[in-house]
Amino acid sequence: MLDEVAVPSAVSAESIKIMGESIGISPLGDDVARELAEDITYRLKNIVQDGKKFTHHGKRKRFTCEDFDWALKSKNIEPIYGVVSSEFIPWRLTSGGGRDLHFLEDRELEVSDIVTQQLPKLPPAAAVKCHWLAIEGVQPAIPENPAPMSKNLQKQEAVDPASKLAAAQADTRNTRNIHGRGLKSVETVRVKQLATHELSAEQQLYYKEITEACVGSDEPKRGEALHSLAFDPGLHQMVARLCTFIAEGVRVNVVQRNLALLIYLMRMTKALLDNNTLYLEKYLHELTPSVLTCIVSRQLCLKPDMDNHWALRDFAARLMSQICRHYNTTTNGLQTRISRVFCKCLNVDKTPLATVYGAVAGLCELGPEVIKALVVPKLRVLSNKIEQCIESPSAYEKNAAVHIKGMLVKSVPPVLKMNRNPPDLLTDYKNDFGFLGPLLQASVIKLRQTPGVGGVVVSAPALAPTLRPLSTPTPTRILHQSVGGVGGRALVVGSGGQVTTTGGVGVAPSPGQKLIIMTSRTPGVQQGLDSPQLVSAQLPLGEGSGATILSPTSTAAGAALPPGAKYVLVKTEPTDDEYGM
Amino acid sequence: MDDSDSPTYASLAPANPTMVNDLASVDLPSLSNIPDVNSNGHLPSAVQSPLSGQDVSSPQTPASLDMKSDGYSDMDKSTMIAVIQFLKRGNLKSTEEILRKECGFFEPVDVTDTSGALGEEGEVLAAYKSDGNPAEYQDAFKALSAFVEKSLDAYKYEVAAVLYPVLIHMYLELIYNGHRGEAVELLQNCSSSIEAHHADDLRSISLVTSRAQMAGQPLLNTLLSAQYTCRMSRDSLAHLKRFLADRSAGPVPRIIQDRLNIDLVDGQPRTKAQVLAVQGAITGEAPRSANKTKIFYGLLKEPELQTVINEEEEAEDDLDKPKKKKSKKDALQKNKKNDPNAPPANRIPLPELRDQDKQERARIYRDSMKRVTLSRDALPSICFYSFVNASNTVCSVDISDDSSILAFGSAESILSVHSITPAKLKAMKPAEQLSDIDKDSEDVLVRMLDDRSGETQRNLMGHSGPVTAVSVSPDKALLASSGQDGTVRIWSLQTWTCVVVLRGHIYPVWSVRFSPHGYYLVTGGHDRTARLWTTDQHLPLRIFAGHYSDVDVVEFHPNSNYVASGSSDRSVRLWDCSNGACVRIFTGHKGTVSAVNFSPCGRYLASGSCDARILVWDLGGHGNALAALSSHSDTIHTLAFSREGTILASGSMDCTVKIWDFAKVTEEGRDEDVNATTSPLEDKSLLLSTFPTKQTPVLSLHFTRRNVLLASGPFNG
Repeated sequence: MLDEVAVPSAVSAESIKIMGESIGISPLGDDVARELAEDITYRLKNIVQDGKKFTHHGKRKRFTCEDFDWALKSKNIEPIYGVVSSEFIPWRLTSGGGRDLHFLEDRELEVSDIVTQQLPKLPPAAAVKCHWLAIEGVQPAIPENPAPMSKNLQKQEAVDPASKLAAAQADTRNTRNIHGRGLKSVETVRVKQLATHELSAEQQLYYKEITEACVGSDEPKRGEALHSLAFDPGLHQMVARLCTFIAEGVRVNVVQRNLALLIYLMRMTKALLDNNTLYLEKYLHELTPSVLTCIVSRQLCLKPDMDNHWALRDFAARLMSQICRHYNTTTNGLQTRISRVFCKCLNVDKTPLATVYGAVAGLCELGPEVIKALVVPKLRVLSNKIEQCIESPSAYEKNAAVHIKGMLVKSVPPVLKMNRNPPDLLTDYKNDFGFLGPLLQASVIKLRQTPGVGGVVVSAPALAPTLRPLSTPTPTRILHQSVGGVGGRALVVGSGGQVTTTGGVGVAPSPGQKLIIMTSRTPGVQQGLDSPQLVSAQLPLGEGSGATILSPTSTAAGAALPPGAKYVLVKTEPTDDEYGM
Repeated sequence: MDDSDSPTYASLAPANPTMVNDLASVDLPSLSNIPDVNSNGHLPSAVQSPLSGQDVSSPQTPASLDMKSDGYSDMDKSTMIAVIQFLKRGNLKSTEEILRKECGFFEPVDVTDTSGALGEEGEVLAAYKSDGNPAEYQDAFKALSAFVEKSLDAYKYEVAAVLYPVLIHMYLELIYNGHRGEAVELLQNCSSSIEAHHADDLRSISLVTSRAQMAGQPLLNTLLSAQYTCRMSRDSLAHLKRFLADRSAGPVPRIIQDRLNIDLVDGQPRTKAQVLAVQGAITGEAPRSANKTKIFYGLLKEPELQTVINEEEEAEDDLDKPKKKKSKKDALQKNKKNDPNAPPANRIPLPELRDQDKQERARIYRDSMKRVTLSRDALPSICFYSFVNASNTVCSVDISDDSSILAFGSAESILSVHSITPAKLKAMKPAEQLSDIDKDSEDVLVRMLDDRSGETQRNLMGHSGPVTAVSVSPDKALLASSGQDGTVRIWSLQTWTCVVVLRGHIYPVWSVRFSPHGYYLVTGGHDRTARLWTTDQHLPLRIFAGHYSDVDVVEFHPNSNYVASGSSDRSVRLWDCSNGACVRIFTGHKGTVSAVNFSPCGRYLASGSCDARILVWDLGGHGNALAALSSHSDTIHTLAFSREGTILASGSMDCTVKIWDFAKVTEEGRDEDVNATTSPLEDKSLLLSTFPTKQTPVLSLHFTRRNVLLASGPFNG
């Protein structure tokens, strides 16, 4: 017993007994089991220790099954064939009868299925790519090299701008010490610290080119410029200038009602937000008002009844939700403040319809909770207004009312479906929501009949809190799977299905059974899988871990990968065809 | 090879028989015939003289040690057993102990069962047989560590070196005698007083918890077969002896006497830094006697190239300024001067230069005229070759000396050769076409290649396990690769086939390198040996045995007379190719040595290890580190010197390339004569720059002839 305390990573006597049972030796005496457990622990550890040599010479950090096999081979023991693990080992835990059991699920596979299956695609062949890691001692800021300033550092600087100064001071102090002079002249008084912010000639040129391309008339060039903004590392020095450019641009063009330019500026904002190497919190005071303006401004174009300013509002609303997702913290209360602005605009009697539409769109993009709390209570008022306007003679008002109606009917029903219990009676809906009642009722019923997309939205947040605390640090992450998806079979919480262990011991799942499905993924694998479910499921946990998406693989491997990479970046946003995104 | 018939090779041809015989012993856990670099007589002469006056209870003469290795005849053995049985029955323990020591007879003798049915391993382990009271071990060790703690600072650190070997041997003694509880307790309570770098070994020793497990543990075999060496000044040893004299009965004096090799040094006791700098190897520090041989570290005289270069210059346009020409000639003159430290040119036979080799030399020379001079202020440009779609499968990379070919071996047993210049990789024409070629024509080498077969990448398949190392021969005609399947293969880069499989290593081969002069190659592997081969024989010329664990990495000296090997026993050894002797043992690394490289001048050796440090050794000195460069955070897999030797580049698993100021290391190292008492240079300003990559561990670094640094590694996205 003492020994088990001393060496926690040991095979326990209970495990030995279970293993014995699984091969038909039962019952195994306590003494025998303990003796065996000790010896097995010793042998396993010895082999693992030997196997580490193979990991070392394989130039890897992670120990693999092959290393274990090679260690066995070097001891002249026949290796265990067929246990080739990829990096995915789904351990499951079950408890019952007062003891926990970890086991690997070993599903039975149908040979005929495998035979008839299409052959899996060959992995791409290894290739050599070259780039400059340094040019005469200076590391160029190209996508192949890591960002000169990591996101964490930028974050730190955003919180404490003086940290940069401190580092600079430490630097100068060091150089002083090296030269051995200047030790006496320590300055004690400093009124105000100023961090210098310089742009090199190249950066100035880049700024000029990028801004011109982004708002110019040459569409292919704009595409290139936006791509550069979205993917190039090392932009952090210029972000301040670019944000100012966007803010000023929006200010001027809202007054001049230049829809096209506003759209271009919003696309620029989106590119900056998409850039994984940038941490924009410092610049939100410029970006947020600009984006908000594009959502709720009373007039964004010269001919409000003709031009499609609705799309700009939609796009900006999505940007807003992206900003909220990335930068909302308890200290800045970003989402609360923004929702408050939108709510103010929902006052239908005073605000113009375009603004109301913007506010609705903005709120709807912020997620089901916000819709439930802020939009649903206003539905009655809104539908009255829509009813009025839809019959109004003014084409503009009519158009606006149709758009608001469309937006509400699209985003509200999933929330209603969650929060209202069937049966969905027409009268109830009419009472609660007035003019929009019948429409909402129809789409809720439709949703209830097709368990699909809506189901994911509902189940993901419900599952997430229970699974999250169990997550292990990267690279092992929990994948929550949606009901009825590809991996639906793995998730049998309380469904009464029989779960079989490797050894053939049947374990009936108890009600409190915990299931952990762990995976560790590399972006390459994920892109290769092209599984939207996987991607979307990872996102709630993987924030900030997406920093590695842009990689030499994705850029260098050419056309095959960028769509996948982009999908990850775009996340839940549907692609916007209208804007060429 | 056209030079294979040269008669000079005959002198080298047969493998050194004594070395081969010793090889057998390396894998066997037997005490008697291990190639022990410490001469047996050394220990007693160090320990004996001051001790004999004071301590009567543990006498040991050099003669007794010799007897032990000679062994007893059966007659003597049975008599001895009988006597000891008699003593045991009479419970005359101390008499028995003295008798055993006096005769060097440590086999266990059972009173009840006299058959003595012990296996070979049992005999070795039997040395641990002891009747000591298990309870007193912990107290004895605590007393020892308290004594170390209370010692004057001057002696403290030298004396502290004995703690670790004493602790592990105490533990093993307890385990052997079945006192498991006490053993575990001892290790738990006392391991805090041991230096942190022993933690790994302590952990693997602590896995052993029964007598049955003691056999076959590789580390344990090493501990049994090799004495742990502690270097001590005369004063420190006297200090330790005073302590031991007080407690002559306990296990401590016995273990120190039996298991430790105290290397006595005249002079001042060393400081903590100095002691720590040389500790770390499995067997303690290198005894000084092992590092006395003179090393010819100078470069060989450059062959006469004047004619070749002149010819080529004439062929070129005569636009060169006369001044430049003059400087070239001066440089050539300099090359011809004899280096006083260089070995005689015929010390080991080297292949004669062919015309194409001479042209290659001339090309090297011309490139060297155009190369960038690197220094503190002029850092190199680094071109990074990353392998995509190959994460975690690339095991080894090598770039040919002229930087035109990049070869990498993968975990899938495939060798892949890429051309990194516009030149294509061409194959030789079929035999019938070859016969049409005029053999005397000047461009016969070009004409025998088929232009239509040019490709930028070729795969070589043949290994049946991960390819652990690759090396391109200097003339780019051959490629050597070593595999975990235990074979070394030589491939032709003209026919693109495997031309020979060198079988000799029994276990996985970890490393292979071609000599800078071609013809020779050296390998190192899991069987704890490094081997010297040639391209025309399938048997090794030399087997360098002596490491106590895997030989992980090998490298040739620029003059091809020496081979350096780094091992999992955390030491670096230097071997002489001409006689197979180990001429230097460098200790100081605290982890597996994972990279070694010589400076272009031949005088310095840099080694990197899993402890993320680089140590620089001076071959002109006697085994002391010149500098310790630490800034990496993970295993260092590659080291490269710039062509003029002013910059050292290191690449590591922590995904960085670091550039070090080697000119400063050598400058400061030369000022003072490095002797046993100096501690290695550690200076933050030696690190010039760090270049992080994007999740790409750096597996290989190579300076082109014009000093552009080529790095490579697999992108682990």
